[in-house]
Amino acid sequence: MVGQDVSPHILLVDDEAAITTNLAPFLERAGFVISVAGDGTQALQQISRSKPDLVVLDVLMPKMDGRQVLRHLRQAGDWTPIILLTQVGEASERAMALEEGADDYINKPFDPRELVARIRSVLRRARPGQPPLAAVWRLVSGKLTFDRRAHRVILNDKELALTPKAVDLLEYLMTHPDELISRERLLETVWGWDYPVGTRSVDTRIAELRRALKDDVTTPTYIETVAGEGYRFAGKVEGQA
Amino acid sequence: MKHWHWGLLISIPAVAGATLAVAFWRGWLPNAIFYLRADLGTAFGLLGLLFVVGLGIEWGRWYRRESNRRAIASKVKAEATSERHEFLGRLDHELKNPLMAMRAGLANLAGTTLESPQQEIINSIETQTLRLSRLLTDLRKLAELEIRPIDCAPVDISELLQEVATVAEERPDADSRHIALTLPQAPWPLPMVSGDRDLLFLLFHNLVDNAMKFTQPGHTIELRAFEDGSKVVVEVADTGPGIPDVEVPLVWEELYRGENARGVPGSGIGLALVRAIVERHNGEVFLRSRVGKGTVFTIRLSTAQK
Repeated sequence: MVGQDVSPHILLVDDEAAITTNLAPFLERAGFVISVAGDGTQALQQISRSKPDLVVLDVLMPKMDGRQVLRHLRQAGDWTPIILLTQVGEASERAMALEEGADDYINKPFDPRELVARIRSVLRRARPGQPPLAAVWRLVSGKLTFDRRAHRVILNDKELALTPKAVDLLEYLMTHPDELISRERLLETVWGWDYPVGTRSVDTRIAELRRALKDDVTTPTYIETVAGEGYRFAGKVEGQA
Repeated sequence: MKHWHWGLLISIPAVAGATLAVAFWRGWLPNAIFYLRADLGTAFGLLGLLFVVGLGIEWGRWYRRESNRRAIASKVKAEATSERHEFLGRLDHELKNPLMAMRAGLANLAGTTLESPQQEIINSIETQTLRLSRLLTDLRKLAELEIRPIDCAPVDISELLQEVATVAEERPDADSRHIALTLPQAPWPLPMVSGDRDLLFLLFHNLVDNAMKFTQPGHTIELRAFEDGSKVVVEVADTGPGIPDVEVPLVWEELYRGENARGVPGSGIGLALVRAIVERHNGEVFLRSRVGKGTVFTIRLSTAQK
């Protein structure tokens, strides 16, 4: 029996037809049911009509841009998972993506296989009808609290002194718990750059976080190393509004 | 102040002196020597005062001109930077969508069955598409570098240079090129420098990477650092083809490729990034080069305040 929920329904929103016509069949082969919208207004109509499982939303579009669509949905209490297609390297846009309640974001031009991986992990993480961790103001994992409004990290009621990059890195890891994240992806999403040897910068910041969190490398409470692949936030993360 | 004003002011002690001289000659004054001394004192005092006032006025005028000039220069620079930033932003936006479509198309093709020569053609297109994507990212980095805030913190430059050397030697195409790293230990190691570690890493990585590209296999690249007053000086020296004198000022420009650099892979952004990073750290960078001998890049960075 093939139920409808076996193939997740993805709505792909981009004003550039050359992108959607190529991306749609690729995503279909990856096992998704795809529908396409060419601008923000169309996207809103399709979301309310067909209730997709996830929306891949371009930021820069004529008429109503991706940011407005996202805000409109979240204000109406619609927590359909959304992956934003952002501009390369714009730090302000990355911060905006998470603050406005996107579940994840990926920089154009991206590797289409990476998009498939992101869609799968967002769908796995999604809590139906509830805001994603990316949209809550306080992330709590055991004795560790991340206050996103003040950009502060508190462990055992004490604020930790961390470099800004380490704070951003921890934020990304905690909003993507139990997900294996490669160094390259951390570099691209947290640093916004993908320079070839920079992955060592990731390791340096992870080491800083571990020291501050007093996390043991062999039996980690928070950050786990997956040899040769990347990092994973091992603690259970609760969101508080 | 006009010239005749000066004349008028200077004439005050002269007139006073002349009046006193006449009074003195006519014998109207009871103690002539006393008046002469008092008069000379007044004259010199007044002249001194005038001199100081004149100096002050001149300095004020110079200061106003200078600060005007500086304000204009910085405004012009800020405008140029923001214009360039806008241009790169537009370029980025206009290029990223076609590139995205190409990558999606290639991924789409990969799912269909292809004959092997076709597959080769597709692979080569994919490689070039990735190259274009990287160039785009580099341009964006450069634009962002000019405006993004930098995280300034004490950086252990010895450890950083060690890491740069290790990364470079681990490169798959390093062949037998060797990096000789010289760091002072006696009487004390290098002090910390103040900067953004990630950017400084990128800076030295780019320089060493360049040196590797232009050096024959089997040759050695020297990476050395020393302390000089409140600065740390780092040098990257290679035995490559060198840069002709006429090209020396041009190599820092984005997308410039020197004559000896043709055929060597690269985006033409590396040194522009180096310059931008050094500028953001208020440091200095210069190069010495001899054609056929090699090139030395010198970077001076401020040490962190203790």
